[in-house]
Amino acid sequence: MGKSTENSNKDPFLKKGLQGNIAKHHKTYLGTNVPEGYFAKSKISILEKIKEEQQVVEAPKKQKIFWLQTKFRYMAAASVVFLLSLTIWLQNVKSNTEESQVNVELLSFNEDVLLDALLIDDTQMNAFAEATLINEVVIKAELSEQNLDNLILDSMISEDSLLDDYLGNELIENIIL
Amino acid sequence: MNKDQALVARLQNKALKDSAFSELLDAYQERLYWHIRKIVVTHENADDVLQNTFIRVYKSINKFEGKSALHTWMYRIAYNESMRFLEKNKKKSYDNIDEISSNHLEVLFEDEYFDGDEIQKKLHKIIEGLKEKQRRVFQMKYFDDLSFRQISDILSISESTLKSTYYTVVKIIEEKIFL
Repeated sequence: MGKSTENSNKDPFLKKGLQGNIAKHHKTYLGTNVPEGYFAKSKISILEKIKEEQQVVEAPKKQKIFWLQTKFRYMAAASVVFLLSLTIWLQNVKSNTEESQVNVELLSFNEDVLLDALLIDDTQMNAFAEATLINEVVIKAELSEQNLDNLILDSMISEDSLLDDYLGNELIENIIL
Repeated sequence: MNKDQALVARLQNKALKDSAFSELLDAYQERLYWHIRKIVVTHENADDVLQNTFIRVYKSINKFEGKSALHTWMYRIAYNESMRFLEKNKKKSYDNIDEISSNHLEVLFEDEYFDGDEIQKKLHKIIEGLKEKQRRVFQMKYFDDLSFRQISDILSISESTLKSTYYTVVKIIEEKIFL
């Protein structure tokens, strides 16, 4: 590749390849330069920057308090979940035992009643049943009769008074008009 | 195991990483600098992007699986870092390519570390006048001396497309340079 216009048009301007020296090629054909000793300085600068980056990455790790570490967070979360599930499980177990205790009591009560009933004499049982039934039937019948009487009397009284009022008003209006 | 594979093995070993990285810098620093310089134009910008590129290489080397060659992987990082830099500085826009091109040339010709003559300036103008893809392909092939295979890995463009693009650009330059 020629640097000036002296090149003949017959020769290709662009050579087939760089054949090695890239820096020379850039300088010769593109006119681009670098400061003297740039690559040596740049290498040191890059290595220093990498060291700085490493320190920045490492520093927060040292300062990190143990309860802010990721591992600890996971452990804490797992513990909370475990405690919650343990509490729920224990509650379930407790309510189940209470229910079973109640059932046992009921069963024992029922058994007692049944056993007691077997031990009572039939005549006594009949007497108790009759007394209970008579009382229940007589009292309930009397109460219902009383209620019915009251209802009929109330309706009669209220209907009469309403009719009186209506008739009185009608008469007065007719007389006046 | 070739030289690059041995270097990668050492870079991925915590105890040997720093010394291996120093070797990596010796081997690739200059090549990557010139690759970046052509994209971001000025020396100052290229210096920043080069640093970022090597920091990224250092951080990501453990993720390198050897699916591509080490230098291809590094070129891809350098290319991506350069593009990120351009986007960040709002100099890269496909909406108004003429404005961007003239801006690039102004910045380049004013750069402290540019001392090109008329023919070199003319070559820059022709290159800047190319389409984005044409420019990158030509620069990578001609100035960075990368193979079509490597460029294909970096830009994710098929080799046949790259070849036709490159030879079209060569023809354009040969036609325009002595006009």
